Amino acid sequence: MSKLSFRARALDAAKPLPIYRNKDLPDLNDCVSINRAVPQMPTGMEKEEESEHHLQRAISAQSVFREKKENMVIPVPEAESNITYYDRLYKGELRIPKQLFHIQPLGLDNEQPDYDMDSEDEILLNRLNRKMEIKPIQFETMVDRLEKASTNQMVTITEAKLLLNEDDYLLKAVYDYWVRKRKNCRGPSLIPLIKLEKRDGSTNNDAYVAFRRRTEKMQTRKNRKNDEASYEKMLKLRREFSRTVTILEMIKRREKSKRELLHLTLEVVEKRYQMGDFTGEVLSEVTAPLAEKPVYTVPITVTNGNRHNHKAEIKIKSGGLPYHGYHHVSVKDEDPFDFVRPKKKYTRREPLCRPGRPAKRQHIVNKADIKQYDFHSSGEEDYPLSPSSEPDEENDPDGTFAFRRKAGCHYLAPCLDQTSGLLWDHPELAGLDALRHRQSLTALSVPQRCVGLARRRVGRGGRVLLDRASSDLDGVLKQLDSGVFSSSFPKGLSDHQVPTQNHRTMPGSASSLTDLLSNIQALRWRFFRPRSTQGDDSGEGRTGRPSMDNRLSGGLFVHTKNSGSGGITEEQYQVHQQALAQMQKQQLAQLQLKTAGSTDCIISKTLDSAGAHFAASAVISAPGQVNNENKPDNTSVNGVVQPLVESLPPHSTSTSQGGTGLDRSGRTPSSGGPLLPASHSTTPQSLPNHRGHGSAVSPAHHHHNARPSPSSLKLATMATSSLDRVPKVTPAISSMARDNHEPERLALNGISETTVPMEVT
Amino acid sequence: MADSSVDVVEGCRLPVLRKNQENEDEWPLAEILSVKEIPGRKLYYVHYIDFNKRLDEWVTPDRLDMKKLQFPKKEAKTPTKNGLPGSRPSSPESEVVRVVGAVSHYYSVGNGTARRPMPNQPGRKRKQPPNCGGTDEDSQDSSDGIPSTPRMTGSLVSDRSHDDIVTRMKNIDCIELGRHRLKPWYFSPYPQELTTLPILYLCEFCLKYLKSLKCLQRHLTKCNLRHPPGNEIYRKGTISFFEIDGRKNKTYSQNLCLLAKCFLDHKTLYYDTDPFLFYVMTEYDAKGFHIVGYFSKEKESTEDYNVACILTLPPYQRRGYGKLLIEFSYELSKVEGKTGTPEKPLSDLGLLSYRSYWSQTILEILMDLKPDNGERPQITINDISEITSVKKEDVISTLQYLNLINYYKGQYILTLSEDIVEGHERAMQKRHLRIDSKCLHFTPKDWSKRGKW
Repeated sequence: MSKLSFRARALDAAKPLPIYRNKDLPDLNDCVSINRAVPQMPTGMEKEEESEHHLQRAISAQSVFREKKENMVIPVPEAESNITYYDRLYKGELRIPKQLFHIQPLGLDNEQPDYDMDSEDEILLNRLNRKMEIKPIQFETMVDRLEKASTNQMVTITEAKLLLNEDDYLLKAVYDYWVRKRKNCRGPSLIPLIKLEKRDGSTNNDAYVAFRRRTEKMQTRKNRKNDEASYEKMLKLRREFSRTVTILEMIKRREKSKRELLHLTLEVVEKRYQMGDFTGEVLSEVTAPLAEKPVYTVPITVTNGNRHNHKAEIKIKSGGLPYHGYHHVSVKDEDPFDFVRPKKKYTRREPLCRPGRPAKRQHIVNKADIKQYDFHSSGEEDYPLSPSSEPDEENDPDGTFAFRRKAGCHYLAPCLDQTSGLLWDHPELAGLDALRHRQSLTALSVPQRCVGLARRRVGRGGRVLLDRASSDLDGVLKQLDSGVFSSSFPKGLSDHQVPTQNHRTMPGSASSLTDLLSNIQALRWRFFRPRSTQGDDSGEGRTGRPSMDNRLSGGLFVHTKNSGSGGITEEQYQVHQQALAQMQKQQLAQLQLKTAGSTDCIISKTLDSAGAHFAASAVISAPGQVNNENKPDNTSVNGVVQPLVESLPPHSTSTSQGGTGLDRSGRTPSSGGPLLPASHSTTPQSLPNHRGHGSAVSPAHHHHNARPSPSSLKLATMATSSLDRVPKVTPAISSMARDNHEPERLALNGISETTVPMEVT
Repeated sequence: MADSSVDVVEGCRLPVLRKNQENEDEWPLAEILSVKEIPGRKLYYVHYIDFNKRLDEWVTPDRLDMKKLQFPKKEAKTPTKNGLPGSRPSSPESEVVRVVGAVSHYYSVGNGTARRPMPNQPGRKRKQPPNCGGTDEDSQDSSDGIPSTPRMTGSLVSDRSHDDIVTRMKNIDCIELGRHRLKPWYFSPYPQELTTLPILYLCEFCLKYLKSLKCLQRHLTKCNLRHPPGNEIYRKGTISFFEIDGRKNKTYSQNLCLLAKCFLDHKTLYYDTDPFLFYVMTEYDAKGFHIVGYFSKEKESTEDYNVACILTLPPYQRRGYGKLLIEFSYELSKVEGKTGTPEKPLSDLGLLSYRSYWSQTILEILMDLKPDNGERPQITINDISEITSVKKEDVISTLQYLNLINYYKGQYILTLSEDIVEGHERAMQKRHLRIDSKCLHFTPKDWSKRGKW
């Protein structure tokens, strides 16, 4: 059979090849030609060289003889190894160390000159040595430096002097010699160097240029020109995609957290509802231990009343006030503020609820609450409301008028003049005392409440903001609240707020309501309360208050002259006074009951109600600005007329209270708890009445939902209702006043009158 | 004679007298690459056709056989396909043209530019593989007209399109290195001002190049190296290997490359030494560790190269050091757990050395295989490759070269003939120098994780 009649299978490198000796296979020769079936492997040589004579001869000799014969080797140029002076050249011996050499390449350049002296130099050196001693190494160093400084241009003699720092004669001699030698030198340098590439590419084909730097070039396949560009594009694409993926993942995470937060909030609210924790007592109790972090009172912006932040944290104007830190009063040194923290989250979101719309949502408490989360499901995190308290902010609650500390400056507490009658001369005050120097007891008119320590600022557009501070007095103040509602102050007192007291005398005593009251009465504590504006009150308020104000604020008080315009009736005032008195009584009574031990729950109550107050006050005081929008139309007298005016505390409350509010206050003198039902009832009532009112309230609802404190809600609604009336009262003042004012709104006018600038340093 | 010598220009071909190894006269055809005039006479740099470049030399006119002079073919007669006259190498006529009067025909005297391109064009032609000699492309040159820079991987030039008359000629006459005087074989880009020296002096240990013995003396007072400036990773007897990082020890690496280029035709020094490691083999005596040879290796090779350049210095050639270097390179590959192959193209000596090493290595394995309980011993090519770290293709080519693969009764078998066995045994007896893997202290580094080289 023909040897070529079949095709050999391809050689499989993975297949075992049996090994035979030729003698074992006598018939092997039959197969030899098949060998060609195995493809011939290339030698790896360049073809033309492969055919070179000597190689072919050597290969053939090898294949014939299996061993190279001497004369069949590839001839190479000769080399000699008989340098006789070798031993003289390379002096010394080296003993082989036991260890393998391990050398750090960095240590190689030990500052030896690269220049090596030649015989010509030696002649010069010998000549110079007749006059002075100069070692070869010294000479080499000099030339070396000259050379290395002359990369582009030869150094001048002056430069050489600086460079070499040698004796002038020597320097001159060497320099002149060097210049001469360099001129005769054929190379670019006396130190022979490999030719370097020029960056312009002109040396790309210069055979003497070696060791070019490798430019970072992508290794793509040859002969595919577009590869590099497209590869770059792919790289870019990849980078961008991966960035997108990262962003999306982060968004996912954020949204998940949001959902979780929402669910948790919902759950909390439901739980609280089930257990009837309408005042937030339980919540604060529970959350108290959790809140380890520094606590801040978040400032209250008294805005146009669209929203009540009954959380007492932040009132944010729809416009998105630039809330930066200085709005926050952070009181780090005071513990009992834990409740603030849990609320923070709500308030943070709040700004996003468009103030104009909330009417739709007012009823659906929980849904609205949820909604507000949906609202800004992305990106709004940058809301400037971060409650973080920076050191500066703590001391800087004064808004635009704030005094700002500069880093590195040491500030002493201001020394106020005596007019204040306060304790400024006691810089050593700490804690509560210190607080009281900045904040004053403040009460709101609409939710008739004392909100505790607060101070007033004017925000953008003339809104009045209250910065609240927490103190351990809050518990007591809370009682003060109820007292305000239930009892009327003794006439002289009740009329105005302003009690100041100095606390330093009685640090401990402040904890009791009696003390507090007495302090207030003794005017040792400043207590800003809304004046009851009704009727003749205006007169009285004026009489009483201005003096007070002057005393307190050093004349900064701006009194609303137009108070008269408000149609506050004397009856109203009377009623109010009564209410106040009753409140006072109540407070006193409560004081008896409650001891310091029960502070916890007191605090929580205080908080809520206080928050409500703030919200309410916000509603009251600010609305003017937003007037033209479909916001709660009420022009707040405060806001418009006198930006500086403080929103006034409760007992001077507006007519609304005069109507509903007063009743209520009468009804609900006791603690927050009892108030709640009433508040609920109120809400529906008041809302339908006025459109603006409704809208104003709705934000409160949000808060409410989030933080269901019915009392606050009630207060808020009261506030709003009162607000609605305001415009009516103050048409003269505010041209922006809404059309549909109603007579009862006069109250606000009173408020505006009664507002006392809260002058706080 | 004088008048005819005038006509001998670059590109001419004619028989030139040279002595062969048996010291006999022979007249191989040679090409005149360059002409230079020294006082009193002319010298011609000749390349003997079909002889390796390393035998090129300067000859006196009396060694030229002027009667058989053939001139370079006239350029105009070989228009190129792409219409770029001059880019096409002109090849000398294959038949002998002895008519001097034909000059005007074969050699365009009036072509002023011809003189410059002429010399290197035959060279370029020569560089092209025969099978593509008729094509016009400069092999891998990109066609956009911009002279491309060589690829940045590897150390050898396979694309000789940049080869010009300068690099085709040896530029150094003699190098003194330690006890040795070496006659360079090829061009090396030492500083140009040093190329005119009769002797270039190298420091034996740091390989610095110096223009005179005096300079070398001065240098030796400052250079205290007595071994290559790297880590010694192998030592057995007097043989040591030093590993030098081309990035960390640039000066030495460059000096080594310059020296090596004198003996490696295809080596390129176009780019820096950063991506290479240099393994320098030394022999110790009381004076120090004398360089015997070296091989370089890419830190990361995309093509399984375990050797880039490999060289035994001429004084040490033909004494088994080359095989030792090769063996060492495969030992490194074994430690790395890879198979490897030398970078291509191989030189003639490289091919012979590698073939010899591969043959001996493979035969060693095959002959050591014992029958496995009566069965005929067998082995796969992959097994051989794995044991030896020799790349599979090299194993196959060696088996082919040794004629061991046969197709017998439907399957491939390996057959060991008597003379193969005998030849191998004889060769192994003479192979004293072996690498002892126990003396190797080498930890491969993962260069891909170390940033750029």
